Amino acid sequence: MASAEQIRAEPGLTAGAAGQPARRRRKRRTNSATWGIVGWVVGILFFFPVLWMVVTSFKTESQAYTNTPSIVFSPTLSQYRTVFSSGLWPYVANSAFATIVSTLLVLLLATPCAFALSLRPVKKTRDVLFFFISTKMLPVVAAIIPIYIAARDLHLLDNIFTLVILYTAMNLPIAVWMMRSFFLEVPGELLEAAQMDGAPLRRTMTEVILPVVAPGIAATALICCIFSWNEFFFAVNITATQAATVPVFLVGFISSEGLYFAQLAAAATVATLPVVLAGWVAQRQLVRGLSFGAIK
Amino acid sequence: MTAIAPTVTSAQPARARPDRRRQGWARRGPLLPALVFTIIVTQLPFVVTLWYSLRSWSLVRPGSQHFVGLTNYADVFKDSQFRQTAINTVIMTGGTVLIAMVIGVALALVLDRKFLGRGVVRTLLITPFLVMPVGAALLWKTTMLDPTFGIVNFVLRPFGIGHFDWISRFPLESVMIEMIWQWTPFMMLLVLAGLQSQPKDILEAASCDGARPLQIFRELTLPHLRRYIELGVVLGAIYVVNDFDAVYMMTQGGPGISSANLPYYIYQRAFLGFQVGQAAAMGVVVVVATIIVATFALRLIFKTFSGTEQAA
Amino acid sequence: MAEVTYEGATCIYPGAEKPAVDGLDLAVKDGEFVVMVGPSGCGKTTALRMLAGLEEIDDGSIRIDGNDMVGVSSRDRDIAMVFQNYALYPSKTVGENMGFALKMHGVDKDERARRVRAAAKVLDLEELLDRKPKNLSGGQRQRVAMGRAIVREPKVFCMDEPLSNLDAQLRVQTRTQIAELQRRLKITTVYVTHDQVEAMTMGDRVAVMRGGRLQQFASPTELYDHPANVFVAGFIGSPAMNRLDGRLTPDGITVSGASMRPPDAIMRAAHGHSQIVVGIRPEHLSIGDGQLETYVDLVEDLGSDFYVYGHLVGDADANVIVRAGREHPRPGETIKIKIDASRLHLFDADTGVRIGE
Repeated sequence: MASAEQIRAEPGLTAGAAGQPARRRRKRRTNSATWGIVGWVVGILFFFPVLWMVVTSFKTESQAYTNTPSIVFSPTLSQYRTVFSSGLWPYVANSAFATIVSTLLVLLLATPCAFALSLRPVKKTRDVLFFFISTKMLPVVAAIIPIYIAARDLHLLDNIFTLVILYTAMNLPIAVWMMRSFFLEVPGELLEAAQMDGAPLRRTMTEVILPVVAPGIAATALICCIFSWNEFFFAVNITATQAATVPVFLVGFISSEGLYFAQLAAAATVATLPVVLAGWVAQRQLVRGLSFGAIK
Repeated sequence: MTAIAPTVTSAQPARARPDRRRQGWARRGPLLPALVFTIIVTQLPFVVTLWYSLRSWSLVRPGSQHFVGLTNYADVFKDSQFRQTAINTVIMTGGTVLIAMVIGVALALVLDRKFLGRGVVRTLLITPFLVMPVGAALLWKTTMLDPTFGIVNFVLRPFGIGHFDWISRFPLESVMIEMIWQWTPFMMLLVLAGLQSQPKDILEAASCDGARPLQIFRELTLPHLRRYIELGVVLGAIYVVNDFDAVYMMTQGGPGISSANLPYYIYQRAFLGFQVGQAAAMGVVVVVATIIVATFALRLIFKTFSGTEQAA
Repeated sequence: MAEVTYEGATCIYPGAEKPAVDGLDLAVKDGEFVVMVGPSGCGKTTALRMLAGLEEIDDGSIRIDGNDMVGVSSRDRDIAMVFQNYALYPSKTVGENMGFALKMHGVDKDERARRVRAAAKVLDLEELLDRKPKNLSGGQRQRVAMGRAIVREPKVFCMDEPLSNLDAQLRVQTRTQIAELQRRLKITTVYVTHDQVEAMTMGDRVAVMRGGRLQQFASPTELYDHPANVFVAGFIGSPAMNRLDGRLTPDGITVSGASMRPPDAIMRAAHGHSQIVVGIRPEHLSIGDGQLETYVDLVEDLGSDFYVYGHLVGDADANVIVRAGREHPRPGETIKIKIDASRLHLFDADTGVRIGE
């Protein structure tokens, strides 16, 4: 019977047809190879300015100012030495402080707020969300004048805490929105199961919800850090010498030293490096955050 | 008996009411700190800006401020430079957002395919978004677009374009290119999320139905991506319209005001010209305009995103 | 006119050790309703998707109407597929969903509307033509998925477990509708399910698969009466056929000490096999004065039938199921079971292959 022979037949590919599967699988591979080429070309194109910045930072000025850009050269650390000896560290400390403290503050305020807006919906959820986003739409320039004057009168100019407050307000709307979308992802059954197991709200929050939302919190924190570290407008207007941050340093470095390509490339590399590295390392979180948890 | 019954019935509702009220506050409670903080830090200054806009005040002459009513506003509307920068802002924002979105969609389509080193390419592609805006602006101004030593001119030399000063000749466009470079990754990631959320069996069904890849993209993928594109455009516009760093670093608004956008122009008035009253009035005008545009835009996002919640 | 032939068709997923579908040979006649059935992972869905062009044919070939489909993309195969989760286009209305394929093939608007309306009438979808999928119930979506397929009048229907997301009652109802529809349209259909009841009631012929290999391809009756191996014997029929270890003796066979004599034809074929598996269906056993002593574990009351579940005394692993009437034993009792020896199935204990015809 045919079926009995099926069972006793040799498994796998027959000798005669051995060539065929290889042919078909080759077609699959060339397809992915073309996309690969396109992908890499585009990737390198987009990355190129950053790459060139790093390459330039290891050149001497004479090597940087050549008619034909030099790719082969002997690298030097002299530009970096100049950058690091220009009193960089206080700026870094200020940036770090403002970034970390404001992000922590944002998380502290946004998490319960997002929780209230998602898992325990309040009557005016949409209006509140609208309000938060609308604060981001109001041009910062409109608010800067009174903020500057108020800070001046309260002797809070050039004070790192002023920056912290401003950065918190700057990132809060996005944080609330992002966290809310992460909270919405928590399956309702999880909460019901915790309720059946007798857990009070606070414990449900910490032991059930937070672990599920943890990647989302990390993503939000990362986005806040990126925006705070890179922020320039408030920093340049509110700070002077004590509380100045890295972006201010960069601009200051150029105006005092002038536009020397290799040097400013080194300065720019140092300034941008922390956030770029953080973004690379926590890429998945970044992508999640930016897609508002839409990506699985 | 009749005496007892009313007290029993009246006691119960009294006990129920405070419970409900307490529950209401328990729900609203977590919301409040963030809300109050935001109101104080963002709304108060705006109210003060409104107040300043009704006064004439120059920071260089302290004590000179006095009430002038709507004069500042009249000046603003008469100011041709304000009009010009407003137009610049619209061009810059609209152009950047739209072009970044188109490129973003294309890049997302590429990243949606499997190929060797896809993760690395993604890392490379998100980098522009991470770079400090002032740093990025600086980069583009010097190593990229410099007439003599910039890479762009080097690459274009074989095509006959040699020593070309992009930043002086095309200031607005140069700033836009920098902004597009920075914001494309954001658009790309949003669209990629959209692409990956599309169920694969729908694409297979379309293939069985005889649709070619381009048709599938047009008929099925694009409609699905609509909400992601809308979100990207609105969110991107919010950030780009306020972008100050690029203009400050690359062109200082020049030559003249050909590349100045509203944030930079107002900044010039306030901190370089010390004209607080006028700057404030401009700020208010910009705010009102933004609110009008934003109301329409927000209604859009909410429609698309409450759709998500229903489907979920 | 569409015959479907699988000739040694094989599919291996990249990186997998074993093929998902291994050398499948199957010939479906024009207009036939063939059901592929088997446990999860048996390769039935992969085999269906190979036919639809959604999986690569790594070896062998698949022919539709004699034309080799290797290298031919889905859109050129003239196959309509009904997906397990329906795969309705969310941004389009029901009418647009159903007319999509026609639009892709350049059919003009009026003709499209006419054909869509005709199909909608058959499936009672006329009032839903302007709705979007998200506003439809599960049963309605299922009908739209069917409608999308029949509008095309393709050469072959491929159906991937289309009923598995429906509730039990709707499933039975829709089952008969699909079978009747296919009979009327006479389009060759390949249908995949894990539910052997669906397979038995709907298919002209049924292909039982396991581990990527075809076990048996025959009509439902043939599968039921003459299963080709132990696996098919135990898979088809609910409750499952009893399969007990036995030995061949000069006079007949013995199972757990009890001896019985199968028909002569089977005895002749059994010559040479020493260890065998004895199969007998629950309805061919009776409770009474018989050879098998059985301890009753559980009795299932199905209203019309009762099924007694137990195990042979002395061998706790030898499970026995007997069909009984209202007067049935209780759990804990020990009963004697009589075997109708003319209804025995014998299988070789090593290969599992059926002995005799």
